[in-house]
Amino acid sequence: MYYLPLIWAAILRKPTRAVLTLLSVMVAFTLFGLMVGMNATFDTVAAKARADRIFTWPRFGGDGVPVAVARQVAAIPGVKAVTALNFLPGYVQDPKNQAFMLMVDKDVASVFGDYGVAPEQWNLVWKDRTGIVMSRMQAARWHKKVGDTFTMISKQVKRADGKNSWDFKLLAIVDDIPQAGNGFIFGNYDYIDKAKPVADQGKVNEVDLLADDPANASAVAARIDQAFANSATPMQTITEKLARSGNDFGGLDVKKITGGIALAGMFMVLFLTGNGIAESVRERFAEFATLKTIGFTDRAVATMVVLEAALPCVVGAALGVGLAAILARQIPKLMPPGFGIPLPTMSPMVMLWAALSALVVAALSAALPVLWLKRMDIATALSGRA
Amino acid sequence: MLRQIFIVSALNFKSLKGRFWQSMVIVVGLGATIGVLLSMMSMTVGLRAAYDRVGDPGRAIVVSKGAESEGSSSVTRAMAPIIMDAPGVAKDVDGKPLADRQLNIGVPVLRLNGTKGYTTMRGFGPKGVALRPEFHMLKGRMFQAGKRELVVGVGAQTMFQNVKIGDQVILPDGGWPIVGVYQTGDILDGQLVGDTETMLTAFHRSAYNSILVRLASHDTLDAFRRALTTNPALSVTVERHSDWYKKISGQATTLLAVLAYVVGFVMAIGALFGCLNTMYAAISTRGREIATLRALGYGAFPVAMSVVLEAVALAVAGALAGAAIAWLMNDGRQGIWGVNIFHLSVPPSMIGLGVGWAIVVALLGGLLPSIRAARRPVVEALRAT
Repeated sequence: MYYLPLIWAAILRKPTRAVLTLLSVMVAFTLFGLMVGMNATFDTVAAKARADRIFTWPRFGGDGVPVAVARQVAAIPGVKAVTALNFLPGYVQDPKNQAFMLMVDKDVASVFGDYGVAPEQWNLVWKDRTGIVMSRMQAARWHKKVGDTFTMISKQVKRADGKNSWDFKLLAIVDDIPQAGNGFIFGNYDYIDKAKPVADQGKVNEVDLLADDPANASAVAARIDQAFANSATPMQTITEKLARSGNDFGGLDVKKITGGIALAGMFMVLFLTGNGIAESVRERFAEFATLKTIGFTDRAVATMVVLEAALPCVVGAALGVGLAAILARQIPKLMPPGFGIPLPTMSPMVMLWAALSALVVAALSAALPVLWLKRMDIATALSGRA
Repeated sequence: MLRQIFIVSALNFKSLKGRFWQSMVIVVGLGATIGVLLSMMSMTVGLRAAYDRVGDPGRAIVVSKGAESEGSSSVTRAMAPIIMDAPGVAKDVDGKPLADRQLNIGVPVLRLNGTKGYTTMRGFGPKGVALRPEFHMLKGRMFQAGKRELVVGVGAQTMFQNVKIGDQVILPDGGWPIVGVYQTGDILDGQLVGDTETMLTAFHRSAYNSILVRLASHDTLDAFRRALTTNPALSVTVERHSDWYKKISGQATTLLAVLAYVVGFVMAIGALFGCLNTMYAAISTRGREIATLRALGYGAFPVAMSVVLEAVALAVAGALAGAAIAWLMNDGRQGIWGVNIFHLSVPPSMIGLGVGWAIVVALLGGLLPSIRAARRPVVEALRAT
């Protein structure tokens, strides 16, 4: 820290250059934070995915399959617990405000125990068929508190009474979990089932289950696909691990794309800072010669140059990642409905990567100028002819 | 005046060699920006092109009223013949209307990377191929009407597992073998095709998804539409095939395009700061040179213009380099987005857009430094060391 005043003076020598460099580095790291942060979200979701949970749904036919399928799935060897679900897709007030509710049966807790809904909260829902449980994110999105009424319009699910609005009562709010990036709403299967026309009753959109052993999950999933392949209701089965294996967004290789963008940004910054520090050193060649004359070692001079290069990089990286964190929180408000982009999270891993990248950029930028200073001929430099 | 601008600019460019690395900041900054922008846009552009090609303006599609996609549309057996016999539809050599009953069903597939996705399975009626001159078989044979068999698009084979000739696709009444490979050069290349009536039975369905017709001429669409929309027995929407796919491709590509522009915009801001930095440095190293010119009688405007021109030239060079990289990395490669298989594309129009962006950044980044260069008092600049 002994050199700090010297470094500070060097940076302030050209304040415009310092500010512009800092801003450019900050913007590049904002992008870096958003991109790597998105990967971090995918990774968390993949890591938190339960290895023993399996989803199975009808291969064809959007109206669902008979609820008997759930019982047949339960009878397949290796299956520990089974719950049947119905979907209620729709919107709140305006088609822009898309909403989605999972209508679950009483076995839900045995398969979705990690979703944080307490047994007494489930009991409230079983007692009141119109009752629902929301995660905090959804409750905030719809501005609801416990006891409020929640009304959804669904054009997709037909009601026996011909209406298309569904009234619910919010009975409990629970914490969000990483696997459900946009939050979740649970409702009562019996309510939706009995409200449908008789011909549509007794159907399920999805059956979710647990394997008795996580190591068996893939085998159990394959067994379910096989068991139903030649039936009237072929099923499509996938383990939660595979379904959440990040890195797959509509078939895109997300890691490659986000990594490429982050890298392009870093490349841009490397040229900028590298050039800035080279110029700064060249302008002060005589000054460095003086420092060396009065006894500064090569190492001391090199340290000063590296620190001068590192300062805008590290400060810019910190500001950039901070800005990315703020922007990430605004994304849900700016994003059109139905655009399920995972929200970037600024995990410690992201910050570590940002810090590392900043240091690498600083080191590369300073490398050449340090070499010049080491090799410089002091007499020539002092005379101003270098 | 023009001559002055030319002379001063020429001087600038001659001195570029001495400021090579400094100038590279602009070139690399815009190269990275435009490279990323065009790489991301290559998906949107390629997907849109695949949809544009399938949408033949000589064809029209009939879906149920207000349907936003073929999947959510339903045309009953009773409605089909009324639509196909309506005025304005071209006739085949056998005297029957050139019109086809189509199905459009999502089928789960295994992607090459092991993840699960969906593709579209299409039902063709007897006139399915006659309606699509772009459809031709590459390998194997066409499916036979009435038989439970499928043909697969050449693009689907490059992205999905288990879609080779001889493989079975699980449908509601068991496995259907794949008997051939076709190519259309459009979005159908990522799909599967089978016989409409046989599929209808297998899926226990009673309605088609859409009717596709060849128009007697480009101008008969209105007559055709009037005949259908005024018929009380029908409740349908009629669209020119090309207009229909413009709408569909809009839905499919919006997210990709928005992401590309947002990322490109953020990078452009970063490049702008780099550009400002470089140009300020350039005018400061050339301060005395500029002052000398001014002392010789060159005007402030030519000096300012020359600074902006230099920034623009460097930015355009960077943009072209970035575009070249984006083109080499992406153009022609097979892409996938949801159910869509297509070829990524970096066409000249997109390169033009990239150069346009670069010029805007350079104008913004060159303007402030150019004003400073022009305003600096000559005497002060000449005295400065």
